[in-house]
Amino acid sequence: MADDKKAPDPPKPAPKSPGFWRETWVRFRRRPGGMLALVYVVFMALVAIFAPAIAGTKPVMCKYKGHLYFPAMGYFNPKWENPIFQKDRFRKRYTPAKFKEKDPDSWVIWPLVYQDPFRRVGGEEWPGQPENPTGADGSPSRYNWFGTNQQGKDVFAMMVHGTRIALLVGFVSMGIAATVGITFGAIAGYFGGWTDIIISRLIEVVLCIPALVLILALLAIVEKATIWHIMAVIGLTRWTGIARLTRAEFLRLKQSDYVAAAKSLGASQLRIVFKHILRNGLAPVLVPITFGIASAVLLESGLSLLGFGTPPPNPSWGTILREGRDTIQQTWWLIVFPGLAIFFTVLAYNLIGEGLQEATDPRLRSDD
Amino acid sequence: MRSTPSTSADNTATDEGDSEGHTTENKEIFEPLEEYDPPSLEELDASANWQDRKVAYGRDLLRERLKDHPPLVSAEEAMALKNDSEEANEKIYSVMRQLPESDDQVDWDATWVHHLSGDLKSLNPLMISASVEMELLELTGISLIGFDADFEKFGMRQFIDSWQTSEDKLMDKFVLRDDLAWSDGEPVTAHDFVFSFQTIMNPRVTIPAVRSGTDKLRWVEAYDDHTLVIFHKQALASNDENLVFPIVPEHIYKDSVDDDPTMETSQYHLKFLNKPVTCGPYEYKSRSRGQNIILTRRDDYWQKDGKEIRPRPYFKEIRCEVIIDPNTALLSLKAGDIDDCRLSAEQWLTQTDSQDFYDKNTKVRGMEWTEFHIVWNVKRPYFQDPKVRQAIALAFDHQEMLSSIFYDLAPAGLGPFHPTGWMASDKPEAYQRDLDAAEDLLDEAGWDDSDGDGVRDKEINGRLVPFRFTLLSSTTPNSIKVCTLLKSNLDQIGIQVDVKPTEFTVLQDKSLKHQFDATIAGWGTGTDPSTLDNIFKTGGGRNYGQYSNPRVDELFELAQAEFDRQKRAEYYAEIHDILWNEQAYMWLFYRPTLFGLNQSIRGFNFSPRDPYGVSPGINGIWKTK
Repeated sequence: MADDKKAPDPPKPAPKSPGFWRETWVRFRRRPGGMLALVYVVFMALVAIFAPAIAGTKPVMCKYKGHLYFPAMGYFNPKWENPIFQKDRFRKRYTPAKFKEKDPDSWVIWPLVYQDPFRRVGGEEWPGQPENPTGADGSPSRYNWFGTNQQGKDVFAMMVHGTRIALLVGFVSMGIAATVGITFGAIAGYFGGWTDIIISRLIEVVLCIPALVLILALLAIVEKATIWHIMAVIGLTRWTGIARLTRAEFLRLKQSDYVAAAKSLGASQLRIVFKHILRNGLAPVLVPITFGIASAVLLESGLSLLGFGTPPPNPSWGTILREGRDTIQQTWWLIVFPGLAIFFTVLAYNLIGEGLQEATDPRLRSDD
Repeated sequence: MRSTPSTSADNTATDEGDSEGHTTENKEIFEPLEEYDPPSLEELDASANWQDRKVAYGRDLLRERLKDHPPLVSAEEAMALKNDSEEANEKIYSVMRQLPESDDQVDWDATWVHHLSGDLKSLNPLMISASVEMELLELTGISLIGFDADFEKFGMRQFIDSWQTSEDKLMDKFVLRDDLAWSDGEPVTAHDFVFSFQTIMNPRVTIPAVRSGTDKLRWVEAYDDHTLVIFHKQALASNDENLVFPIVPEHIYKDSVDDDPTMETSQYHLKFLNKPVTCGPYEYKSRSRGQNIILTRRDDYWQKDGKEIRPRPYFKEIRCEVIIDPNTALLSLKAGDIDDCRLSAEQWLTQTDSQDFYDKNTKVRGMEWTEFHIVWNVKRPYFQDPKVRQAIALAFDHQEMLSSIFYDLAPAGLGPFHPTGWMASDKPEAYQRDLDAAEDLLDEAGWDDSDGDGVRDKEINGRLVPFRFTLLSSTTPNSIKVCTLLKSNLDQIGIQVDVKPTEFTVLQDKSLKHQFDATIAGWGTGTDPSTLDNIFKTGGGRNYGQYSNPRVDELFELAQAEFDRQKRAEYYAEIHDILWNEQAYMWLFYRPTLFGLNQSIRGFNFSPRDPYGVSPGINGIWKTK
């Protein structure tokens, strides 16, 4: 008989203990509220990215005179709309009839809903679709799922395209705030001494500047104010909390043994700051960032409501609310739909923030 | 009855939607007053060859006018009507505009709660600049002459005994009534007029607006307490307008204005800040900033020893409530907390058609000559060529604007004059949208898409300039809507527009300095078309768009020196045609006057300016018992 004696099993390697981030993720996953919120935000992000394919009047894709074109990209940047359509006098009004007339062999993939966030869709554009109602007559219908505003623009299309603004404002402004805040906080905490004193005073000064006033001043000065300017201002005024937390973490962690070990091994200061301390100190910072996103979304909506937000005709959620305010007793759909969207988005970010907080802070862990 | 502040004779810049609070006058650089030694009264009387002018009570003139417009239905029938058709509007208006047939109909103890859409900056008559301030000055001030709804001038009988103009049109002589007193009991004399004129022209005093009429006067002289002669610099057809300027009491301010040229900061002046001494039908009772201003009837104004010496002011008290938000104002009207309120087209159509509105109120609509337009800065490369401006007018969807933004309540704009005005040309016709013609015109003007990026461009001084301009808008929602509609329309023919909503004061400032490509704006009408000369004449103070056409300049000069109305009308009609054909502005629409009124209000008459803008105007409003 063949010696089938197996070689003894190699010693099982000890199970790798999960890293900090993995552990956080595991804990976060156990919270249904947080997970639901995360799914919602991802869904919103998808809506934002595919907005032109969901609601629009420009073809997502078309074959025209032998070439493939993507006119819907014009919603992101007017320059991405191929000039051939301008030359052929389409005049930004793409209708099935026009395609048939100018090139019988063309084929077109249209967005799911033929409605435009920037203008009223007329009666002769889409076969069988009547023109959008104006005034207070635009209640939700087959053609206008969320109704139309007083000017006859479709609310659903505006909200779908407005998602991009809502998400961008949150992420970009808090991205700026996080970068600035973490950098300043890290420098102040790690180096201490005079650097710390100067940066701490700077933080206090910035804390005193109200973002709202700064935004209003900026809009008056800048020749072509865009949503990016507003995001920059929100970002550049909201970094102080993050900086303070980072600084505190650094003050604590720079005393720890592994930092001393890294130092004694001759690691450069940059390496210590970013590779060793920052990685371990990031968790508490994530929480104010998430809450900050929520408040940035609210601030943008509030600014738009007051009429100082995204420059027209950007269809931000707050702008729709503002339009609804004038006829609040007649056009409930101008208040309810954008109101709910803002509410759920802010709620989602807050739930994510809370989930992160409990998943990363050992004192809040309830499971062990 | 009307007491007009000087500048209301002039065109007013108007902000769409919220006109009342935001209307301002322009500030022009003025030449300081030159000393003038007027001849004696005897010399004047000998040489002037005085010609008598009409002197009347505004109310009587209106009553005369209303004889041709009797009420079409009884008051009960009118109040039961809903204003949903032209016919219903005619009926309701015919009732609302009437003056009382007898004193018994008037509720003399009534309080009128009048809506103000913005607070007053100052109660001092010399400091007026916004139209709300002018409105109140109608009630508290006096003036020598007034205008009826056809802008016919007449002397105000309640303040003067006679008005004469010299044959060479360089002088006007007024004899004031001797029974007029300030609210503190001092008599109103010709010296008050002289003092007020001197103060307005005093360069140390910061006068925001009213100088734009008085700077055309050479001198104001009081020959005795009641004889006043006003000297003009030039004999112009528009001279009458300059005779109106606000009056302050000499005995209050004579010694103090030098110490405090602002007239409202010194301890002494502060006493009069919220309760100035007035000389008109009403005096101030109290004022809370941002909330309300309460006026009471001056009994010593209209009666003396129990005898009526002037038409009696209709209200015992007028409470002016400041409500800025239009929705709040409408809710207050529905609740009966205010008696009148200007409505937006939206409110007219959607929020005032139910019983909860008609319970206490009714509504009327009429026309005024206030027009809105887009100013092209013709010094910018884009708009130099009239062809480009015509192309834009062809590309803009006027019909969509009128229907989706103004719900067909506003008529299409047809140039600087209203088609019903005597000076208007009948040639201008509304543009019909024609994108092919627009694109052809742009190609002709050299704005084609030479680099093939979908945006039109033109080579200027060796640089390829893309057709992309900034359109300044005011922050009112309707202005923004018009601007974004234009953006979307022009995008279709390869022109990029950035719409920038701008605060009204910033907008004014940028307009004055010509720091803009294009901007949306509005002009209220002046009482005489010659007031348009500083808007369209080369280098005019309010020629924000820097438009220049030698023929237009010439025509303005010709029309100013001409006194025959027929000839003047021809000159102005030619100006109208030129401006329209060259599209100096892109005219958009005339503002409709839409008002919600309590059912007890009467005496409400529309005018080319606004319901309170001509005589008797606000002083003709009364309440039924």
